[in-house]
Amino acid sequence: MLSRRAFLQSSTLLALAPTVPGFLARTARAAQPQRDGRVLVVIQLDGGNDGINTVVPFADEGYAKYRRALRLPKDRLIKINDRVGLHPAMGVAGKLLEGGQLAIVQGVGYPNPSRSHFRSMAIWHSASTDPEEQNSLGWLGRGLDTTSSKPGETSALFLGSGAVPLAVRGRRAVASAIERDEDFLLAPGADARRVISKEEPADELSAFVRRSMLDAYTTADRLAESAHSGGSSGRNFGSSLGTQLHMIIRLLKSGIGARVFYTLHGGYDTHAGQLPNHARLLTDLSFSLQAFLGELKEASLAERVVVLCFSEFGRRVEENASAGTDHGTAGPVFLAGQAVKAGLVGQPPSLTDLANGDLKMGIDFRRVYATVLEDWLGLSAQQALGATYERLPLF
Amino acid sequence: MMPARFEDKPIAADPWAPYVPDEKSPWDLRRVVHLHRRAGFAATWAEIQRDLKDGPRTSIDRLLAGRAYRDVVPTDFARAADILGGAAGGSNEPMRLRAWWVYRMMFGPDPLGERLVLMWHNHFATSNLKVDDLVAMRRQNEVFRKHARAPFGELLDAVLRDPAMLIWLDAPANRKGHPNENLGRELMELFTLGIGNYTETDVKEAARALTGWSIEDDAFAEVDSAHDPGEKTILGKKGRWKATDLIRILVEHPATARRLAYRIGQLLLGEKAMRSTDIDALAAGLRRRNLDIGWAVETVLRSRLFFADENIGNRVLAPVEYVLGAARALELFEPPANTFILAEWVTRLGQELFYPPNVGGWPGGRAWLTSRSLIARANFAVTIVSGQRGGLAEPLDALGLARRHGQGGDRESVIRFFSRVLLGREPSPAWCQRLMAALGADARDESEIARRIVSRILAMPEFQLG
Repeated sequence: MLSRRAFLQSSTLLALAPTVPGFLARTARAAQPQRDGRVLVVIQLDGGNDGINTVVPFADEGYAKYRRALRLPKDRLIKINDRVGLHPAMGVAGKLLEGGQLAIVQGVGYPNPSRSHFRSMAIWHSASTDPEEQNSLGWLGRGLDTTSSKPGETSALFLGSGAVPLAVRGRRAVASAIERDEDFLLAPGADARRVISKEEPADELSAFVRRSMLDAYTTADRLAESAHSGGSSGRNFGSSLGTQLHMIIRLLKSGIGARVFYTLHGGYDTHAGQLPNHARLLTDLSFSLQAFLGELKEASLAERVVVLCFSEFGRRVEENASAGTDHGTAGPVFLAGQAVKAGLVGQPPSLTDLANGDLKMGIDFRRVYATVLEDWLGLSAQQALGATYERLPLF
Repeated sequence: MMPARFEDKPIAADPWAPYVPDEKSPWDLRRVVHLHRRAGFAATWAEIQRDLKDGPRTSIDRLLAGRAYRDVVPTDFARAADILGGAAGGSNEPMRLRAWWVYRMMFGPDPLGERLVLMWHNHFATSNLKVDDLVAMRRQNEVFRKHARAPFGELLDAVLRDPAMLIWLDAPANRKGHPNENLGRELMELFTLGIGNYTETDVKEAARALTGWSIEDDAFAEVDSAHDPGEKTILGKKGRWKATDLIRILVEHPATARRLAYRIGQLLLGEKAMRSTDIDALAAGLRRRNLDIGWAVETVLRSRLFFADENIGNRVLAPVEYVLGAARALELFEPPANTFILAEWVTRLGQELFYPPNVGGWPGGRAWLTSRSLIARANFAVTIVSGQRGGLAEPLDALGLARRHGQGGDRESVIRFFSRVLLGREPSPAWCQRLMAALGADARDESEIARRIVSRILAMPEFQLG
């Protein structure tokens, strides 16, 4: 009896491609891990994540000096090495690091940092620090423009309400938004498969329409199936980040061809009473990531997906008078997934050698982008970013 | 002597020669339905019968004159449309603006006009994602409507002064000493010449010519201090060009006529219906007539090519055509279908009016048939007949509709009626059987059966083409 993998790898399935529902043909291709099977999931941490209390430079004398109410005790940190440790709420992320599935790029930012949420986020999305160059296109949109996907096929999917983020908007690439899974589910009585002819029509356009319809019904079936699938039904995805990541799994299983999934995790703008809020957010983020990677593995998708987490800026080194922090500059960027080369990249920014009381940038964020574009997605970084940036050892 | 094939027809023969009904291409149900699908959204049974009787010339006259849908147009249509448009503009809810446009398509007298507005909306694809001003988007829509059939230079001039377009193309950032290349590029690549007909220098110089055309207080303003008055060389022509000069240069360039011919073909013809030489011929005609769009539209609609077998049913219906076509053919006028809900369906099917996916507009054609869109079509097909969620006050009285038009109430007659009005064809026995087998055994009564017949037809692959 052929293993499923061997069956999918056999060429006969692909030769049947015109009559086989599209999702099966796609899964066959995915069984041989290939560049265009690779997917990027972006989690945008909205508000400015306090990197100093996320990847804590406990050995730096500046930490004790500038963080008093907000100082996290060294013995509660998830120690990574003798210089930095993770926030106590990120125990699960620590396990991912140990398990070879998490990379942390330290001190990421850009020159002449902006402390405006909108301006800084626009810079991260457009990969351009020139406000006049920030036209309506984003780094992933421009990257996806360089591929020849089927016209109209969604290359990037934004999970959430509201507008598709700038990062995924391209000139040709199509990015769409999905708020609810109802968009992919058949209403009661809507299954009209029986009305489709058994034989393929003679003319090519009609045959295409028929095939596309059969594909669509199959996608809907798979998505409906995964709503009740045994593996994940028992888990409690209390947060909306968890729900969205779970939705991504279901969409991937349904055979959708999008290469980028974009989602937001909000609440990081911790100007006051930072400790409980930040802890809650990092707990949520860590657990959601772990659950997501676990589900990917169960679904045999782990080789195909990498997660990128970033925030529009870090926070000020010195805490403010409200047990919180104000807008800062550089911060850590996380990459998670089986394909990631685990560990720390770059140096923890110094808390004593500052620029106007802020962390100095260590690594330009566009180096992270260039690496993800070229080494993971196989897209032209030069075309996406408009310039060449030295890549990082992330994969 | 070898039989002449389509491709072997001598080029000298006018590819746009007028259609004259004959044995091979009779003026029949199929062609009438086809005409309304392409030049409008769909005809009602009464409109089909009227046009069958009146022949192609008169039927096309009516469409061109904006009088094709008369009997169902409310007497206060213009005023109602205006009120809806005004309310939408002030509402901050894009779906309301879409509902306004859907109201125009559904209840207005000029479906061809609305098709042209859709064409221009796609051609000058401007998204409210950036403009963020529904009043401006409506105003732009009315600019398209006002100049839809005009000589193209008029439309282009009006569009380049339109605030929504100016915001979209970053016109305020385009100033002397700091030309915004995006503006010049979109203008040349998308709105006029098309790729390959200009150089990067032309793009920069065009942007320089456009400097000064900007916005002040949400209205168009010519800001002299921002204008670069220096000499520019655009497409080989040297001068101290201003925006109006640039428009003239672009309009006179032969590539623009060709791109417009292509667009009009895209609007009215299906796949593989038009050869390169046909586009050339239409472009030549446009050039001789100052790029008169109305002339080109008329020429295409009256042509043998338009009514040829190869050009019927060879085009994927866009969401707006699919939804509005169904709504009209099913006569959802009284009580009127909820245009807000219809607009939601158009959006769910993947055509987010006022929010084109990017600056290239909607790719269209087969690209409409994504899994998500097809699932939405299947959902629409079952929901539109059922009542409230489909936008109707009560479930569709499909049986009553068939009977009202003199058809019998038995299943075969109902199938035949809806096959004619929705698909423009006489159903074959095999097709009827397939449909009957898909009706299910649990319908309560003949009314329910009739509704299901409609629903199944809307969900068929055949109905996705028009």
